[in-house]
Amino acid sequence: MESPSEQLAKQIIDRLSQEKLLTPERAKRCLPKLAAGTLKTEDWKVEIELSQEAKEETEND
Amino acid sequence: MTNQPLKKLAIKYLRGSLEPFEIKFENKRKLTIIYGENGTGKSTICDAFEFIGKGKVGSIEGRGLGKTAPYWASLGKEAQDIYVALESSTDSCSAQIEQSEVIIHPPEFRPKVEILRRSQILSLVEAKPGDRYKVISRFIDVTSIEESEQTLIKLIKQLKDYQKEAIARIEENRTAIENFYSESGETGTDPLGWAETESQYDHNAFAQDLKVIDKLRRQYDYLTNQLERITPIKQEYAVQKQQLDQARARCNEVVQTTVKGSSQLLNLLQAAQHIFEEHPNPSVCPLCESTKKVDGLAFRTAKKIKQFADLDLANQQLKHEEQKFKISQERLKDLRKEVMTAAQVFQKYLDEELISEDISLPENPIPDNINQLNYWLDQTKHLPKKWVDISNQKQDKQKFLAALKRSIQIYQENLQSQQALAKLIPNLEMTQKIIEEERKQFTDTVLSQIAEKVGALYEKIHSGEGLNKISLQLDPKKRASLDINTEFNGNSGVPPQAYFSESHLDTLGLCVFLALAGMEAPDETILVLDDVLASVDEPHVERLIKLIHEEAEQFRHCIITTHYRPWKYKLRWGWVQNGQCQFIELTRWCPTKGISSIHDVSEIQRLKLLLSDSHPDPQLVCAKAGVVLEATLDFLTQLYECRVPRRADNRYTLGDLLPALDKKLKKALRVEILESNDKNGNAIYRSHSLEEIIERLTNIAQARNVFGAHFNTLSFELLESDAIQFGQTVLELTELLIDPERGWPRNNKSGSYWATSEETRRLHPLQRPS
Repeated sequence: MESPSEQLAKQIIDRLSQEKLLTPERAKRCLPKLAAGTLKTEDWKVEIELSQEAKEETEND
Repeated sequence: MTNQPLKKLAIKYLRGSLEPFEIKFENKRKLTIIYGENGTGKSTICDAFEFIGKGKVGSIEGRGLGKTAPYWASLGKEAQDIYVALESSTDSCSAQIEQSEVIIHPPEFRPKVEILRRSQILSLVEAKPGDRYKVISRFIDVTSIEESEQTLIKLIKQLKDYQKEAIARIEENRTAIENFYSESGETGTDPLGWAETESQYDHNAFAQDLKVIDKLRRQYDYLTNQLERITPIKQEYAVQKQQLDQARARCNEVVQTTVKGSSQLLNLLQAAQHIFEEHPNPSVCPLCESTKKVDGLAFRTAKKIKQFADLDLANQQLKHEEQKFKISQERLKDLRKEVMTAAQVFQKYLDEELISEDISLPENPIPDNINQLNYWLDQTKHLPKKWVDISNQKQDKQKFLAALKRSIQIYQENLQSQQALAKLIPNLEMTQKIIEEERKQFTDTVLSQIAEKVGALYEKIHSGEGLNKISLQLDPKKRASLDINTEFNGNSGVPPQAYFSESHLDTLGLCVFLALAGMEAPDETILVLDDVLASVDEPHVERLIKLIHEEAEQFRHCIITTHYRPWKYKLRWGWVQNGQCQFIELTRWCPTKGISSIHDVSEIQRLKLLLSDSHPDPQLVCAKAGVVLEATLDFLTQLYECRVPRRADNRYTLGDLLPALDKKLKKALRVEILESNDKNGNAIYRSHSLEEIIERLTNIAQARNVFGAHFNTLSFELLESDAIQFGQTVLELTELLIDPERGWPRNNKSGSYWATSEETRRLHPLQRPS
């Protein structure tokens, strides 16, 4: 059975994907770390920054 | 974990089980009621479930025993003798103590057990908020998410600090650039544009110019130095020449004062002396080959040479001065050559090198005549200072542009950094906001689900009392703290402990326990309720029993122990729905046998058993059938609100009850029994009229009083078969009316008949015909 953190992590990741703050690939990478509480400051920066860049590239295409 | 139906529980030497004891669970019955007076071993059965499910025995905790493990085994037995096994339809597992540890074989089939004891029923309601949180934390503990969220908050703070710093740096650099702009004497309005243009200037050009200036200076200095070296060399040359002349003059003077041609003579004598060194006693004169005066010729030659010593000295000095003069002459020649070479190299450099226009150069070429060089140098002597000046200017400009370039670079870097942060920070803040929202919503939803479930369960027991508005709230000011509140007498948000009665708190505790147990894989959970009905008051106990019946459906199995005797009789009479219920009665615990049980059967089954005897006892049959018929008629007359004589003790006889069913009602009474479903899933019922059976019973009802009530000599005259027939007719009526699994038809929700649960029996009519 999933722990509350695992359940919540899925909901958060879904929402961040919907809001286009994380790309699907980045979201997939983030999920286990978010649930385990191992996302470090640098991880957050990289994931959001790269997702932002990917979003901008898509918008420019 | 498994969700398979339970088959058997075996207990050996645990607590009260002095001898091996087994409970066989009936197929398709998810609720097992274990009834027994105090001290019959009910808690030992609960302990067995806790032992195999949780590896402990909780019933003796909190009694001041300290470590309870030494008391788990039955008296006279050791811990390793304890054995509990649980068998399901597909698997089984057992629990034993090995090296002070409870070991489950195989561990993957360890059952999930949730146990609530009478002593614990208020533990959650009355617990401190922190302890209450611990119990519920398994559903709402999102510490890991909070940790990730904290790192995100930390990152946002860091980046905001960076952003502030970048903005400050941008301002600093903008000011610095404006200062550079002023220093440079520019008067436009775009210092940044100017700085960007200036910073793109080729700095190598400065380096090249400085290199050229340096080389010009070095070549000019070299030429000057070389030319300056000629003067002492020329002076030395003049001195040497003078000394040579003097040596010549002296030599001439010596020759003339000595003898004319003496010089040649001396040379001749010196040559002869060389010969005499090899031939000291010649036989002839080596010059003329005369033999005269040959003796002592060598001696005499040496003597003669000595006479020419002054002349020789003068000659030697002359030779020496000639040599020195020659050297001086060569040095002067070489130096002049070097000067001219330096001049040529310098000129070639001036001719060929690309030299910036702002660097001053000689107006005339370097002369190729060394005698004119001094003049040229005199004409150009102002140039080295000019070169130093322009070199300094260029170095200053180079430093200025380097500083400007650094400033514009830092400005641009900080500007880019600030712009990147201005985009990133809002996204991070939005991410954090979403996490916070989702986290709060998640915990609120879970708590709300639990509270709603608790409220719904509570409402089933305390229906209409308005005490169902239970809320669970995390205290925002404290970490891991959970408050439980309710609405009481129009006041919301009050703690139930403050206003609820003990009985109400007990049922609330039970509802909280049931709600939590149902939150997590209930189909795998064995629910054990140990004597939790004890303090529930009579009006609510029936609802609670009904609630437990309903809730047991969702769990793998529900065990409930009780010493509430009415339940036993209500079950025996089928007054509570018992389709999924197995009833086990424990007999008095015995110091030699330990726990033992008896199989309890309903009153109708008892009647059936009596009738199935090969020689039924008419007295026993009539007595039992009379009681069963009274219960049946009591049910029907209450259901249809029939007229019976009003008495203080509410005791009615068959003579009161049978006539109360009037003619119209008897004619209308009809039972439909569910037989099967058709291919479309529609229920197929078989209809039975009760009129004829009741008429028969009316005719032979006196058999009950004659055979079954008192000693009566009339019974000697009646046929025993009449007594048996009475019993059989009562059985016929009750078997039509009562479903052994679903009980009596008490539900009128259909609006047109009374029905059992799942409508296995339908009793018509709904109301007594007028």
